[in-house]
Order: sequence, then C-alpha cells, then structure tokens
Amino acid sequence: MRLWLKKFFLRNGIVLSLYMLLVTFIWIVVMFVLPQIFMFDFSFRFNWTQIDPSKIGSPEDIYTLQHYKFLLFGSPNNPDPLNIVDVTVFGRTILAAIFVTLFDVILCYPVAYYLAHVAKGSITRLMMLSLVVPFWINELLRAFAFRILFGEEGTINNILLFLGVLNQPIDFVRENIALYTGLGYAYILLMIFPIYNAVESLDRNQIEAARDLGSPWWRIHWRVVIPFAKPGITSGCTMVFMLSAGALALPQIIGGPSSLWFTQIIYQWFNTGSNWPRGSAYAVSLMVICVILVLLIMKIFKVKFGEIGR
Amino acid sequence: MSSAKFLRLVTSSYIILFFAYLFGPLIVMSITAFNSAAFPRLSPWDCFSTEWFGVLVNDARMMGGFKNSLIIGISVVFVSVPMGLAGALMLGQLSNRVRPVFYTVTISTILVPGVVLGISTLIFWDRMGMMFNAGYDSIFYDGIVLTIIGQSTFISAYTMLVFISRLQRFDPVLEEAALDLGATNIQTFRKILLPFLKPAIGSAAVLAFLASFENYNTTVFTIVSESTLTTVLASKVRYGINPSISALAVIIIGLTITAALIHEVLKRREQAREIALKKEGQVGNVKTLSRTAFRKPVTLMVLLIFVAGLSTVWMARAYDVNQCKIEVSEEKRKKQEELSKKRLLEMQKRLESQEAASANGSDSKSSKTAPGTDQYGSIFAPTNLEGQVESTEDQKENSKTPKNQYQNIFAPTNLEGQVESIEEKTEASKTPKNQYQNIFAPVNLEGQVKSEKE
Repeated sequence: MRLWLKKFFLRNGIVLSLYMLLVTFIWIVVMFVLPQIFMFDFSFRFNWTQIDPSKIGSPEDIYTLQHYKFLLFGSPNNPDPLNIVDVTVFGRTILAAIFVTLFDVILCYPVAYYLAHVAKGSITRLMMLSLVVPFWINELLRAFAFRILFGEEGTINNILLFLGVLNQPIDFVRENIALYTGLGYAYILLMIFPIYNAVESLDRNQIEAARDLGSPWWRIHWRVVIPFAKPGITSGCTMVFMLSAGALALPQIIGGPSSLWFTQIIYQWFNTGSNWPRGSAYAVSLMVICVILVLLIMKIFKVKFGEIGR
Repeated sequence: MSSAKFLRLVTSSYIILFFAYLFGPLIVMSITAFNSAAFPRLSPWDCFSTEWFGVLVNDARMMGGFKNSLIIGISVVFVSVPMGLAGALMLGQLSNRVRPVFYTVTISTILVPGVVLGISTLIFWDRMGMMFNAGYDSIFYDGIVLTIIGQSTFISAYTMLVFISRLQRFDPVLEEAALDLGATNIQTFRKILLPFLKPAIGSAAVLAFLASFENYNTTVFTIVSESTLTTVLASKVRYGINPSISALAVIIIGLTITAALIHEVLKRREQAREIALKKEGQVGNVKTLSRTAFRKPVTLMVLLIFVAGLSTVWMARAYDVNQCKIEVSEEKRKKQEELSKKRLLEMQKRLESQEAASANGSDSKSSKTAPGTDQYGSIFAPTNLEGQVESTEDQKENSKTPKNQYQNIFAPTNLEGQVESIEEKTEASKTPKNQYQNIFAPVNLEGQVKSEKE
C-alpha cells in the first residue's frame, strides 16, 4: 500500500495525486458508502425523531428489529401470520420487475442484433440517435405520455373503439398494462446498449460458418450469438431489473389504484407516515433482496460483475 | 429464397414497430399540446391552439421548479465531471487486485435504486447536522444542496464511464514523452491529457446535466421542502392533468433532439479528425469526404424539424383560435339541438300513433308496459324516454330524468341534458341565451364565470 502510494505520488505529482485521492474518497466514501451504512444503522433504531427527539443518543436509544418485524408480520395486534399487504406488494414488485426485464430482453435482442450486424453506416447512427432521444425525456413526461395513450378515454381505447375491436373501453391503468408497458419502455436503452456492445464484437465469420454448415437462423442465434452475447444480456438484465424494481415515478402516475409498488410504500413511510427508520428498513430490505437476486443470476450465467456497464 | 425474403420482411417490420413503440407515445403527447381541449387527448379534436404554452409559462410553480432544476443541473455538472474524471484516472492506476473492487463499488452507485440513494443521503446529512448541532436552515437541511450531492453520487459514475471509454484510446507514450522533455506533472495534465479528453468532457457534461434534469427518484427524497421541475410535475400529473404538461414535453423533446444532434455532429467531427490524423498526408481529402458523409442524415433531420416548426408557426399565425373555438362550440350546440329536435319529433310521432292505437283499442297496451306506469295509458313514456336520454351523450347523471312521466314535460328533461353537456364540454361562453326559456341564464353564467377564472 505504501509502496503503491509512493509510486502514485511520483507518477502524478503532489497536486494531481491529492486531487485524485481526495475526490474519489469524497465520492466513494462520504457520498456513497457512509450514507449506506448510516441508513443501515438507522433502520435498526426507534423512531425517536417523531416521538421524543431528546432521547437520541440516550441509553434508551438502542438497536431494535421492530421495523423488519413490521415488514414481515405487521403490527403486534395483526391477526394474520404475516403482514399480508406489504409482503404481497414486495413479492409483486419483484415479480413484475422480473417480468419487465424478460419483456425487455425479448424486445431488445432482435433490435440490438439488427443494429450490430444488419443495419449499415449512417442508418445505424441515426437509429442509435433515435434510441437515445426518448431516453433523455423526463421520466415523468414519459409516464404522462402513457397516461394519455392508455387512459379510459385515451388514444388506444379510442382507436380500438373506432375500429370496432372493442365495444367498451378497457381500463388499462387498472389492469396494470399501462405500468408494465411504461416500465418496459423506460429502460429499453439500458437493455439495448449492453447487448449491442456484446453482439457487435462477434466475428461475422462465425455466423457465416454456422450458416454454411446448414444451420437455420434460429439455431445460429441460439448456439452462436446468444452464448456470445451472454455477458451483455446479463448486464442489461441487471440494470433493467434493479431500476424497474426501484422505480417510483411510473408506478405513482400510471400504476393501478389497487396495486402499489414497494417503493411507494417506502415513500409513504417517509412522507405521510413520518417514520424514517421504518422507511429505511424497507429500503434496505428491497436493496438486499434485489442484490441477492442479481448475484444469483450472475452466478447462474457465470458472468462477472466487472463486465457490467461497459 | 422466398423464405429469406420473408425473414427480411419480418425483421424490417419488427424494427418499424419497435420504433413506433419508441416514438408513438412522444408523438401523441406532443400533438395533444396543440389541442385546445382541456383534457390532453387526440381524438375529439377541438381546435389547433398554442394557448397551453402560455399557460405553462404563466405557471409560477412550474417556473420556480424549472429554475431550481437548472441550478441543480449545472451544479451537478460541476461536481460530477471532476469526480468522474478522478475516478477514471484512479481506475487506470490501481493494481490488478484492487481494480475490480473499485469498479464494482463505483458501478453499484448506478445499480442501487435511486430511492435508496436519496434516502441514505437524506439520513446521512440529517445525522451529520445533528452531530454538529446545526440549525434547520443550515447546509445539512438545504434541499438543493442535498439534491446536488445525492444526484452526483450516481451521475459521477455515468461520467466516469464516458471517461473510461475515452481513456482506453489514450496513448501513454505521449505523457511519458512530455515528462521526458521536462514538463511538470501539471503541465502534462493540462497540455496533453485534458485536450485529449476535451470531447469526453463535453459528452460527460451533457450527460450529467440531462441525467440530473430528468431525475425524480433521488430528488423526491433529498429535495425536502424545495421543489424541482420533476417534483412539481409529479404532483401535477397525479392530481389532474392538462395539456400544458404536453406543451412542456414538446419543449423538452425539442431541446433534447437539438442537444443530441449537436452532440452527434461534434462526435463525428472528432472522429473525422482522428481518422485524418491517422492517415497523414491525406488530411484535407479525408476531412471533406467524411464531412459530406456525416451530414446527410443529420442535416435531413434538422431540416425536417425546422420545416415542421416553421409550418406550425405559420399555421398558428394564419388562423384565429378563438374563432375556431366558437365554431366548435357552436357546432356542438347545433348537434345537440338537432338531436333534441329529432327526439321531440319522434316523441310526438309516437305519441300520435300511440293515441291512435289506444283509441282503436287497448290491446297493445298490456303487452309492453312496465307495472305501475300504465295508469296514464301511455306505455311508452317513461321507459322510452329513459333509454333515449341516456343514449344522447355520455351523460351518466341523468338518472333523475324519468321522474316526470307526463307527455308535455318531455322537452325540459332533454334540455336539462343539453345544458349539462354544454357546460361540461366547452368552456366557450357564447351559449344560446334567448333561444330557450330563462331557465338557462343562471347555468350559463355559472359556466362563464368558471371559464373566466380558469
């Protein structure tokens, strides 16, 4: 360590070395790691700020598991064995996020392949550009657009009614169709680019060879392209899964009235519930479960963490 | 061969569908900004109007949020670009054992849900503030500062990725040469590395600004009592929507497309320069070649956007919104009138035929009537009326109508329906006052007052 530091200072000079060390320290430790630790710590504390702020730091300010218990079992006088509302919302959020991820993989893989190996020159550039543009439109505005499309008197219902496919408008919002399409839409770019990067580096000769040996197109994809693109697909899936499980704006705006997203519950504990420790306990649980799932998937598909984000 | 052709057809239609999915929602939303109807919609198209842009600009809350978003966005650029740069430089000099760990930690700032980042930032600085016994008006509780910190945490990772991909193409020999020739470390950094990274700095800055500007998940927690454009938008969208939000979307989409195009042009120019540098001797040649090549699709797009914008302005000038609105409401009124007239006529006809029938004999009566209504001898009145009134327009509140079962009171019920629909559907003030009895006057006035308030 000391040797490395010496080399580091020798190579970069004092000013630059200090800049690099200090700034990365502030970023990683002060801005990221410490707040996470504080949040973790906070989730084991009583809600003193609301009850009696003077008790903070007093001997009574001890660690407690009550918030995690609340997530699992509800309040002590809850007749059910589990905190059914929160646990189902949690499970549904995770399942829906997995569903959205799968939807995005299936939707984006052909496009990524097309971009990498079929489209040419300026068309590729134009397509890339048009992929990026919707991604930079505000998430809330995208949600708003989906609300216009999927509302009960929205464009899609009007078109279907006009064509005579339906004779009664469908409530897409209540059925959560609007939410899933919106979430899938929001993270298209995060799925396409990793897959594109992976597929692009595939040697075209391999595809040609498979074709020459008489393999049909679907087997070429199944046996040659997809195994090669696996790191890209996994990294895309990781990002889409994490972000859709942690989405807040879209569920708030186009989520069905009867189905909450888990982040909405966290938000409620912070805003209307005024119980920050409980909110952070919920946030920690969400993050831990998500990370475990992601690591599991990486283990199954034998992809290393370092390959993400490239 | 036909199967190959078929496959190609399927692929291209898939790609077209995909881009329709990508742009359809945005296009629909943009169009609704120009519909004068109070609810953002496409299909009952009222009038082309640009009034919603005016509504947007006069919205003080929205503008306040916009100002805060700008401040935060620019500050985030100034925080996260140096941070990302330091991270990228650091990554290049770490030993092989530490590098993956460092990379994992930095990337997980992106992967951690934005909600969690916001919460942890809020809690951390709240605790810090408590530790230093700071008041609630100090930095530790300032929503804007907290938001800048919270957003920079993950946006720095974005900028870092941009710098990493640029640094991969950096030739360290250049640096060594400069050092050998007696330059100091800082000089080398300023004269060799920074110029090389200039395009990446530009991209990273744009990226950081956009990411900060559109962020909601982290901001909603760290902003505390302040508001940004996104938080204002969120509360607006949740409690009643109107097309001024579409108008905002039009502006943002326009700005984003412009930014993306500028970015693209700069990037291509940079690439062209690099190619030219590599092929020494053919500098001029390569430059002109690539210039014509890259301009084609991009210029086309710019031209298209320009023409679209111009034609919109032209159309807006050539035509009077208020006139159109009056026309539309007039049209609606006429439609209603016609409908009610038709209904009255039908009613009268039926009445006559019914009277004739009842004069002939009462055999038809018993077959149709609902029990309890036959005392008037007019089977048709209540049931028929009910069905008709409901079918006129989408008025669901009309359940009160069938309470008068007498024949000469048919007209009022219909009229009642009419007034309601006019009130609901159009805010135009010019509804007929003297065509009907004075029952209408108060209702109309009420409508007028409402529209003036709005």
